[in-house]
Amino acid sequence: MSAIREPIVVAEGISKSYAHVTALTSLSLRIQPGERVALAGPSGSGKTTLLYLLAGILQPDEGQLYIDNRSLSHLQPGRELSKLVGIIHQQYDLVPHLPVIHNVLAGRLGQWSLFRSLISLVWPQERQVALSELAKLGIADKAQERTSHLSGGEQQRVAIARVMVQSPSVVLADEPVASLDPARAEEILRLLTELTTSAGKTLIASLHSPYLIHKYCSRVIGLRQGQIVFDLPASDVTEAVLDCLYNLNEYPDEELVPEVS
Amino acid sequence: MNWGGPIIHTGGGWSAIQFLTALFPPDFSPDFLAIAFKATWQTVTYAVAGITLAVAIGLPLGIIASGTILKESSPWRTPLIASTRLLLGALRAVHELVWAVLLVAAIGLSPMAAIIALALPYAGILGRIYAELLQDVPQQPLQALRAAGASPLRVLLYGYLQMALPDMLGYSFYRLECGIRAAAIMSFVGIPGLGFQIQISMHDLLFSQVWTLLMFLVALIVLVDLWSTRVRRSLLA
Repeated sequence: MSAIREPIVVAEGISKSYAHVTALTSLSLRIQPGERVALAGPSGSGKTTLLYLLAGILQPDEGQLYIDNRSLSHLQPGRELSKLVGIIHQQYDLVPHLPVIHNVLAGRLGQWSLFRSLISLVWPQERQVALSELAKLGIADKAQERTSHLSGGEQQRVAIARVMVQSPSVVLADEPVASLDPARAEEILRLLTELTTSAGKTLIASLHSPYLIHKYCSRVIGLRQGQIVFDLPASDVTEAVLDCLYNLNEYPDEELVPEVS
Repeated sequence: MNWGGPIIHTGGGWSAIQFLTALFPPDFSPDFLAIAFKATWQTVTYAVAGITLAVAIGLPLGIIASGTILKESSPWRTPLIASTRLLLGALRAVHELVWAVLLVAAIGLSPMAAIIALALPYAGILGRIYAELLQDVPQQPLQALRAAGASPLRVLLYGYLQMALPDMLGYSFYRLECGIRAAAIMSFVGIPGLGFQIQISMHDLLFSQVWTLLMFLVALIVLVDLWSTRVRRSLLA
């Protein structure tokens, strides 16, 4: 291990506002390779905005974002960006009419030529890559099924398989388990963290459950009103800290955040 | 205008009774059935060829008009969408019978005239509907494809077209039905087919033959409907 590790994600003073709402205010953070970061915070705290900025779906009004030392604002979307970041959404982000295998292989569309993308709809290209990811997720037998026939949990596995086939350095997940029951939520999060960790990828996921955060993440960033309220190792984040973060009335005071050197 | 006179032509009653009684029985003689089958076949070929051509023209125009493959930032976006929409509008503004009159005058009484006359307005209709169906597709899966690095054309192939295809196909089949009716009507400008035979039998006052031909027309529409249902079901299964 090198003496000084280069951070894989760097945000420097990023701000983003929509028509009348400020989503993020001068936010800075650094994330090391291989970290499993949970973004916590109430609705409207800026979690999704931050993830979308990191994914290159949105552009910041101010500030700079770097992934693997490359400025996101200078990267062409498509081939270059898709090697660096990939994103999983809460739900509904698969094409329901396509067989599972094509939704998984869609992770390769940033790399394939147009001709190869077209051919693949008839003869799936790099089939083995897709099947091996599906096998790790326990749904290799569903490869030929129409995606809309799968349950919510199975569809989320397909989305994970797609991002693993895309194989970006940083995997973002926007409330990946919000629409699942607790047992399935844990199973999906276990698979997501296992697969990304074993492939040496960095994971940033917005999560609400303290239990899941403690069990599967190494670091927690608490967001509120577009600012970082705390940034702590997962083991230091108590229920009280999270309760305060989600509290409807009070803005968390400094003393509620434990002293960390 | 003189509203005092009889509104209904008084001599028509007898014709109507004659026409209705001719239903029992329709003309099913082997000779006439052969004529009816041949006319039906002609009508089907014109309709199928016309609609195929209409899809070939309407699909690319519809894709351009939907704006789905044009980047938001492209300076060509607005003029290209507007001019394609105008072209589609112009194509469907003129009725297929009017196209047929123009084309028969231009290239003569050939099957090609019938096929092109059908294809042009139908391309305008199909293109417009295709554009709308493509625009109505749910956006989240498309955004996910873009986030995975897919270019607009790849998003079209893997997202838009996949999600819109069942409806596009269903509508195209409905247009094939309309095309069969329209192809039958082409007889008014002298193009052979079911309508032409109906006209001949009508002129000869052979109403039982007219009934036979109408039955063929209905059977044809029902068959297309069944075929359409089967194809759509296999796509949605």
